[in-house]
Amino acid sequence: MSTIRQQLASPLQLLALATAGLILLPLGYVTAQALSADPAVWSRLWSTRIPELLFNTVSLAASVAVITLFLGVSTAWLVTRTEFPGRRLWEGALVLPLAMPTYVLAYVYSYLLGFGGPVEHLWQLLAGPQARIFSPHSYWGATLVMALDTFPFVYLLSRSALLSMNVSFEEVARASGASRLSTLWRVTLPLMRPSIAAGVALVILYVVSDFGAVSLLRYQTLTYAVFQQMTGRSDNTAASILSLLLVALALIFLITERWFRQRSRFYQTTGRYRAPQRHQYGWLGTIAITSYLGLIVGAAFALPASLLIQWSLSPEAQATLDSRFFGFVWNSGLLAASAATGGVLIGLPLAYLASRRPTLLNVGCLQAAYAGYVLPGPVAALAVLVLFTKLAPVFYGSVLILIVAYVIHFLPAGLQSLEPALQQITPNLEEVSRTLGFGMRATWRRVTLPLVRNGFVVAWVLMFLQTMKELPATLLLRPVGFDTLAIRVWMEASEEYFQLAAPAALLIVLLSLPALALLVSKDWRAA
Amino acid sequence: MLFTCSLPTLRRTILAGLMFFVVAGLLAPYAQAADKLTIYSGRGERLIKPVLDAFTASTGIQIELLSSGTTELVNRLKAEGDRTSADLLITNDAGSLELARTAGLLRPLNMREVERAIPAQFRAPDNAWVGLSGRFWIVVYNTSLVKPDQVKSLLDLADPKWKDKIAIPNSGSEYLQAGVSVIRATHGDEKTRQFLQGLKANADGQVYQKSSQIVDAVAKGQVALGIVNHYYIYRHLATQPNAPIAALMPDQFEGGMGAIMNVAGIGIVKSTKHLDSAKLLVEFLVAQAGQKLFADLDKEYPLHPDVKADQALVERKSFRAALVPLTKLAELREPTLTLIEQVGLR
Repeated sequence: MSTIRQQLASPLQLLALATAGLILLPLGYVTAQALSADPAVWSRLWSTRIPELLFNTVSLAASVAVITLFLGVSTAWLVTRTEFPGRRLWEGALVLPLAMPTYVLAYVYSYLLGFGGPVEHLWQLLAGPQARIFSPHSYWGATLVMALDTFPFVYLLSRSALLSMNVSFEEVARASGASRLSTLWRVTLPLMRPSIAAGVALVILYVVSDFGAVSLLRYQTLTYAVFQQMTGRSDNTAASILSLLLVALALIFLITERWFRQRSRFYQTTGRYRAPQRHQYGWLGTIAITSYLGLIVGAAFALPASLLIQWSLSPEAQATLDSRFFGFVWNSGLLAASAATGGVLIGLPLAYLASRRPTLLNVGCLQAAYAGYVLPGPVAALAVLVLFTKLAPVFYGSVLILIVAYVIHFLPAGLQSLEPALQQITPNLEEVSRTLGFGMRATWRRVTLPLVRNGFVVAWVLMFLQTMKELPATLLLRPVGFDTLAIRVWMEASEEYFQLAAPAALLIVLLSLPALALLVSKDWRAA
Repeated sequence: MLFTCSLPTLRRTILAGLMFFVVAGLLAPYAQAADKLTIYSGRGERLIKPVLDAFTASTGIQIELLSSGTTELVNRLKAEGDRTSADLLITNDAGSLELARTAGLLRPLNMREVERAIPAQFRAPDNAWVGLSGRFWIVVYNTSLVKPDQVKSLLDLADPKWKDKIAIPNSGSEYLQAGVSVIRATHGDEKTRQFLQGLKANADGQVYQKSSQIVDAVAKGQVALGIVNHYYIYRHLATQPNAPIAALMPDQFEGGMGAIMNVAGIGIVKSTKHLDSAKLLVEFLVAQAGQKLFADLDKEYPLHPDVKADQALVERKSFRAALVPLTKLAELREPTLTLIEQVGLR
């Protein structure tokens, strides 16, 4: 048996190496192009755009981090440490904002907070007819939208930290005379720190690589600038320089996140674990908690979703539901299915080898496949574009190039589910099957595959949904006749045809909901 | 349900997916039907699709439209080379067409219909591209916030008194690039730089992706002035006749530069396999009926001398256009981009 395995291993090994190479190559090309650029271009960018872009990107990330930290931890604490009517409902509802792509939330808010919009009208009733509110097309607008969209990351991580924390630490603190507040501050929060930090790093990674919201809110970040350089200039040297900076920035936060996640282990001195007692609040407390949670979920999901429904029902929107619209639905489905299938097929040998033969080489190949995390959409598009123009110009303008970009971009999301699925089966199970008389094929079919199937399905669904929502790479690489739902939302919304964008946006949100259930139960990091 | 699908089904699904993935990838660039034209269009889909639909209705030739940025599409044509599936390129800017022509992407045309309909200054010397409709990059102002005599020249918009009161398109937009090129050719680099610096300071938070948004912002009073292509103003007025906006033709004073003109145009891609249908489309668009569509639907200035512009527009004969030839926009482009980047316009 082991000889068969060894025979199998070598072509598989080659395949894994080739895959890792394919994934790293585009990144390498962009890096090379950026580094070999004329120093004059570098210095021009340094003296004009780069300081502003770096400042904008980092300050947006910082403000979103602070707000999500507060929202995420406070909501997690409420649903795990207090008891009030409807608690379980809120526990689920707080995840819903993850079903809203950032560009959908951004476009809803550019209507709500826009000049002469409903919020301003309300405010003018209170503060007089000349009163103005802050523009959504600004730093604060981008902060608000990104924070509402990403706080569930911090919420989910904090919640699981609070749920798995041994309550005896807190009890010791209380018994030693610490007040409730001081216990929270000096014991509970420090214990949660690694989880919170991982969540915040994830939020930052998400903000740094977002294109949809910042482009609609016209807030200049590095990711948006890469897109603008690619679409507005005839050579993409400047785009690759900005991309390189962006990749470096993203890499810093990815490493931070991983470092904290590894540290987010809990050390228990005894084997005894008890769930913490939930604090019961009276009706006044219940009202306060419910309105706090209601405000957050309302602003991040309920209000935008009901606006989308209302707009979708308008006659203007109904008129767009023709065969062309269903063509967009079909394109979205087709591209997403191809990318998800391609991702599973490519991810499989990598994950298999890394879990069965965790040599340095194999683990290295697997890590290479996580490169997608630091390749924001426009950068992935640029990378694939540069690669194909150099190596295989035949495929330029075909569906293949778009799908390769998707696979590189979203493979990490798929691997998150493939990896543990393969790790959880020990080779012993297969060996038992073999000693009981099953052949290789039968063993694979009747033992291995059923065990990993769920992981596969989850990986496929995740990549399918990510691809369906994807915007910048699709905008830059789509072949003729391959407009998707996301493209239509962005095109209509960027001209402020809110009603016309609504049906496609609503469909994306609805399709994301079932996946959200999967995410929460399995692996929500990939959203 | 998802988790209970049987094993062979799963395998078949994966296999089918794989096969599709390969086949779709391989075939897509070559997939071409007989009477179907593929058009790369850098114009807003809302502006060009109705015109193309009229062509399909009258000839039965189907059109596959890829709407995107002009520069992006020219880049794409360059990279795709002879393998491109595009038959025609439509853009919002003559400079981009000229760049595509000098890159050898477009096919010279010998068509009497074109030469008869479109005056020579609006097409390439070899007719590799042909202008279809004229547009002027002018000022839109809010009539309750600004008096028309407050602005004489585009360069006036750099005056600090307009701080936070003007809206401009982003620097990736080809008409801004063309406009700056014309200003450079007329006033020189130093004066243009000062203008751009002032513009940047005045319009800091109001840099827009779409001209329709600029007109909207002016109409709402969010800003007092904006620089846009003229037809966005009239299209807005056509749907909302009471909007407090008006067009202002700048630089018309004695010795002034004249209004900045550009054309949207079309070129046939060199490698097209549907030359006859492509020529038919060009013929349709330059003919009086086609030109009238640009005038009526889009509120542009038709280039055909016998076709009248929309009544609402400023009479074409009543104002002067800047004297920079359209073909020059191409060579002016690179140094203009450098200047724009040096100033740091978004």
